[in-house]
Amino acid sequence: MIRDLLRPGILLRLVVFAALVAFLAAPDRFAGLLAPLTSNGAPSIYTQSSLIDLTLAHLFTVALSTFAAAVLAVGLAIFVTRPAGVEFLALSRAIVNIGQTFPPVAVLALSVPAMGFGEAPTRMALFLYGLLPIFENTLVGLSTLPPAVVETASAMGMTGRQRLLKVELPLAMPLIIEGIRLSAVIGLATATIGSTVAAKGLGEVIVAGLLSNNLAFIVQGGVITGILAVLISDIFTAVARRATKRRGAPSAAARTEPDGRQTSGA
Amino acid sequence: MIELSHLTKVYGDVAVVHDVNMHVEAGTITVIVGTSGSGKSTLLRMVNRLVEPTKGRVLVEGRDVLKMPAHELRRSIGYAIQSHGLFPHWTVARNIATVPMLLGWDRKKVAARVEELMELFQLDHVQFADRYPHELSGGQQQRVGVARAMAAKPTLLLMDEPFGALDPIIRGKAQADLKAIQRRTGTTILLVTHDMDEAIHLGDRIAVMNGGDLKQYAPAADILARPADAFVDDLIGPADRPFHYLTLGTVRTAVEPGEADGAPLAADTSLYEGLGALLWSGRRTAPVVDASGAALGRVSLGGIADKAARPR
Ligand SMILES: Nc1ncnc2c1ncn2[C@@H]1O[C@H](COP(=O)(O)OP(=O)(O)OP(=O)(O)O)[C@@H](O)[C@H]1O
Ligand SMILES: [Mg+2]
Repeated sequence: MIRDLLRPGILLRLVVFAALVAFLAAPDRFAGLLAPLTSNGAPSIYTQSSLIDLTLAHLFTVALSTFAAAVLAVGLAIFVTRPAGVEFLALSRAIVNIGQTFPPVAVLALSVPAMGFGEAPTRMALFLYGLLPIFENTLVGLSTLPPAVVETASAMGMTGRQRLLKVELPLAMPLIIEGIRLSAVIGLATATIGSTVAAKGLGEVIVAGLLSNNLAFIVQGGVITGILAVLISDIFTAVARRATKRRGAPSAAARTEPDGRQTSGA
Repeated sequence: MIELSHLTKVYGDVAVVHDVNMHVEAGTITVIVGTSGSGKSTLLRMVNRLVEPTKGRVLVEGRDVLKMPAHELRRSIGYAIQSHGLFPHWTVARNIATVPMLLGWDRKKVAARVEELMELFQLDHVQFADRYPHELSGGQQQRVGVARAMAAKPTLLLMDEPFGALDPIIRGKAQADLKAIQRRTGTTILLVTHDMDEAIHLGDRIAVMNGGDLKQYAPAADILARPADAFVDDLIGPADRPFHYLTLGTVRTAVEPGEADGAPLAADTSLYEGLGALLWSGRRTAPVVDASGAALGRVSLGGIADKAARPR
């Protein structure tokens, strides 16, 4: 049943993705569509830089900073859940929280003098901003595992390292992926402000629209960013769901097998 | 096999296990009974060092467990618990293969062992090998848990209320299966339960714990006949005592010469079951036959009743 419900959803996403690719490949063909949003014969398609280059640069910046945030946040969460690291739990929480509460705009403003204009300050801001969701989710994932399972892993003779790699991380994976998803989606939206310090990205289109009072620019920059966020979020959700299914968590356990046999988590 | 000396575990300022001395023979089943919180699990878990003793010593096959790396020690000792602790993200086959894989057995040998164990525990390989734990019933999960504990052929198996979550019928069957498998493999088993019936049914020897102290450690018959103190007496339940006693002997021990009518009893039937059969069929006597069907004589209600009397 769930499978059937998903099918139209997947179809819709494929259509949206195809439309996005078509637009990025040849934006001019859509000029007429956006023309009503402009006035005084202003161009309706941003041509200062190629939209596809901006999109790829945008994605690259988000991917890089989310990846770096994931490595540090997961590593830190692992460390503070080991016996040797528990003392650092409160401290790590505090540091990661500062990363989240410090406004990205302020990070940009503060890091430009040190790092100069361009991508680096944006990546820095996104990286700091992305730490918290991944850290918190990994922490929850690792500290709420069924005690009987973790203990049996030791009782079977796994070393601490084997227990982490074979049991704890795989079981916490759905939550870790969820944390990375949050960071990536937040990062996609936040990265647009990077254009204020001359980072290449879709923010450039939006800022140009704001400066020249061109609604068509604002809409195309915003919609591309939004579609990317939705599609990427969906991919992460699908991956997390697969991981949950394999883990046999009670919430996801009751399901119908392909051959129609009912199984339950009880 | 296991030698516990002056074994003590202190949490805060409470000794939850206090100065326990115990010797467990190889190839036997020893059952630890006691009320909740009496320190049974703590005692058991000090054997494979899931709990580090505060004081005292544990020798397993002559080796001091505190002087071995914990993970190596644990790979050589089977461990099964009530909530089975199966790894939810691994299939049944992979779960059973846990310890052999940690020990680096080659794949063929692991696969053969998994198949052998699944057969031993009556889990159809084709049907169950690739299932995940949440796709099994509680009884099946429990059998997988015990199979996993025995996978690397440990000579010692620790079990903490392994049948606690099973319904009475499955539980009785699981107990009988465990006993049969133990007799076949000669594994030494140390098992914790709070069920006196289970203890008497399974235990070659029974250790009674109360408030962290080992109150009595003796064969089941001795515990029943000569409880060390009021606590042990209470745990047995005075009304049940003669019936417990009857579960320990077979009708062979009560055979008397003579003949009787009706369906014969097998000589290896327990006295308890023999008594039940006589009462239910309304007979005072029944013929007894051996495994080949040859007549051995008969048993009578009076003969069985004599066996239920307190030994002097
Ligand atoms: N890690 C711990 N820290 C503090 N106290 C503990 C710890 N583990 C066990 N205890 C205490 O030690 C006592 C004995 O616990 P144990 O688990 O050995 O009891 P048990 O006989 O197995 O009981 P049950 O039949 O309920 O399983 C209990 O009072 C328990 O609260
Ligand atoms: Mg216990």
